[in-house]
Amino acid sequence: MSSPRSLIATNVNLKIGQHQILSDVCLNVSAGKVMGVLGPNGAGKTSLLKMLSGQRDSHHSVSWNNKTLSDYDPMSLAQQIAVVNQLNESVFALNLYQIVRMGLLPHKSLLSRQTSDDDKSISDAISRVGLDDKVQQNFSSLSGGEQQRGLIARALVQKAALIVLDEPVNHLDIYYQHQVLKLLRSLAHKLNITVVMSLHDLNLAANYCDHLCLLDKGQMVAQGSPEQVLTSQRLEQVFKIPCQIRHDNNNAAFRVDFYPPDEVETVLAPTAEDTLK
Amino acid sequence: MNKKWLLLCVLVIASPIGALFFGAADLSSAALIQCMTQGCQDPVNNMIFWEIRAPRVFVGFLVGAGLAVAGATLQNITRNGLADPYLFGVVSGAGLGASIATLLFDSKLAGQIGLIEMFPDLSFSLALPFAAFLGALFSVFLVQILVAKTFGSRTEHMLLAGIAVSFMLSALSHFILFLGEPFAANKVIFWLMGSLARVEIWYAWVMLPVVVVSVAILLLYGRHMDALLLGDENAKTLGVQVTRLRILSLGICAALTACIVAYCGGIGFVGLMIPHIVRTWLGVTSRIVTIGCVLLGGCFMVWVDVLARVALPDQEIPIGIITAAIGSIFFLMVMSQRRS
Repeated sequence: MSSPRSLIATNVNLKIGQHQILSDVCLNVSAGKVMGVLGPNGAGKTSLLKMLSGQRDSHHSVSWNNKTLSDYDPMSLAQQIAVVNQLNESVFALNLYQIVRMGLLPHKSLLSRQTSDDDKSISDAISRVGLDDKVQQNFSSLSGGEQQRGLIARALVQKAALIVLDEPVNHLDIYYQHQVLKLLRSLAHKLNITVVMSLHDLNLAANYCDHLCLLDKGQMVAQGSPEQVLTSQRLEQVFKIPCQIRHDNNNAAFRVDFYPPDEVETVLAPTAEDTLK
Repeated sequence: MNKKWLLLCVLVIASPIGALFFGAADLSSAALIQCMTQGCQDPVNNMIFWEIRAPRVFVGFLVGAGLAVAGATLQNITRNGLADPYLFGVVSGAGLGASIATLLFDSKLAGQIGLIEMFPDLSFSLALPFAAFLGALFSVFLVQILVAKTFGSRTEHMLLAGIAVSFMLSALSHFILFLGEPFAANKVIFWLMGSLARVEIWYAWVMLPVVVVSVAILLLYGRHMDALLLGDENAKTLGVQVTRLRILSLGICAALTACIVAYCGGIGFVGLMIPHIVRTWLGVTSRIVTIGCVLLGGCFMVWVDVLARVALPDQEIPIGIITAAIGSIFFLMVMSQRRS
């Protein structure tokens, strides 16, 4: 038995066709912590996140709150776990309020109406992510960072205790990258929400995540605190590129610098996961 | 927002009353007002009012409401603003079902194969919408399968798949009508153009429950339908059972289209135009679009039918010609807007 509100994966395996996407991945994230999933392209990050969030059947290998995800019905799973995916298309002009309001869905029966408490939770969530002045704005006209924050507000209205995000700072400029990650860290620490996200930038991961796990070719290479996971020898081995780790301000900030090798292969063979995408 | 809804409510009350004043028969305004307030004095007026004009307005409203809601639902689940029961082959599918029912129950062939003797209690008027429903379901799922397996979900590909299915099923149903009786041209024209000319009040008693139940289900599932607008993956993460909801919605589209096409023929483009106007005017969330489509779609069809009755002296234009003329121009406008 583990502590409540912790996410536990035990020997997660995923095979699609002949391709082994994930092999015996184990991890444990406790409540109120930020977990970063790292790894090169095709390492299996997205597949792992889909299994951790119940988007893909994990065959009883993932449990949340002492119950395997397979035992949750879709609605009660959505009450516990929110997923923040990039919205690729918004055909009809939904505004920010309408998107955030969708977080109510898992808590409402077909006949129940929106109450004043619901209105308050929507406006609180929008305030918490700092988008009060954009409430009525068309969602697709918001900047990438604002859209991400809007979707995080939806997760707050969803009252999820676990938020799973696939590359939340992809396509964002440096200002929004820090803003979104700072927001996620503060939500985790202040509201005791568990956050699991995949990241490409190791420096952002080191500075905003409490725990990291490093995947390579579907296998867990290391997990633990950023200092434990990010060693130059391990990163060189996984990313195939020389690197150096620096600790600034008496170990308060962490820096990973990669150095391009003399000869970089220009043509990279597609990985198994790339092929399946 | 409130002003817009108020205007729409006024339109909903005024349109059917206004439309009662138009028609081929010479019925004075005074006699009509008397019919509405105190009951008709003259038996001829009574017949014109209760058996011709009122049923026509009532059925017209239901036809417009049903087609608009079917279009809006199809657009919601395909996330495609150009989806429409006519363009997606649902109307042709319903037409095919109705043609088969006509062939089996209401033609010389029916007498020869003895189907009427086998099912003496099965009335043709009820078999017709049921067969249309099966035909509509068939076409809806055929287009969905083609899109999923072959064409891909890009707007143009969806439209092409729908149009191809539409032509294929229309050809089949015309051939069946041709087989059924030598003078099939009238029936083919009816399916092609649609008409409210032969409307009877009992049509409404078949359509009304279908429209009411469909709208009620769509309103209940409003939040779920909204979540579908964000894509299937996103909707699933909110707890929506996407496949089940999609099947339910397609069933509703098929039922709405079928009960209309079975009695009034193929009336196109209402399902494309009305939802588009409602979204621009009132809002984009599913419940607003559904209610807006019922009200505006109903009013629109009532006035189009008035136009069909009065545009040419002493004859009636099939209603589908007018909706297709307005709708095709509208379709081109939407396409050019999307392009820009």
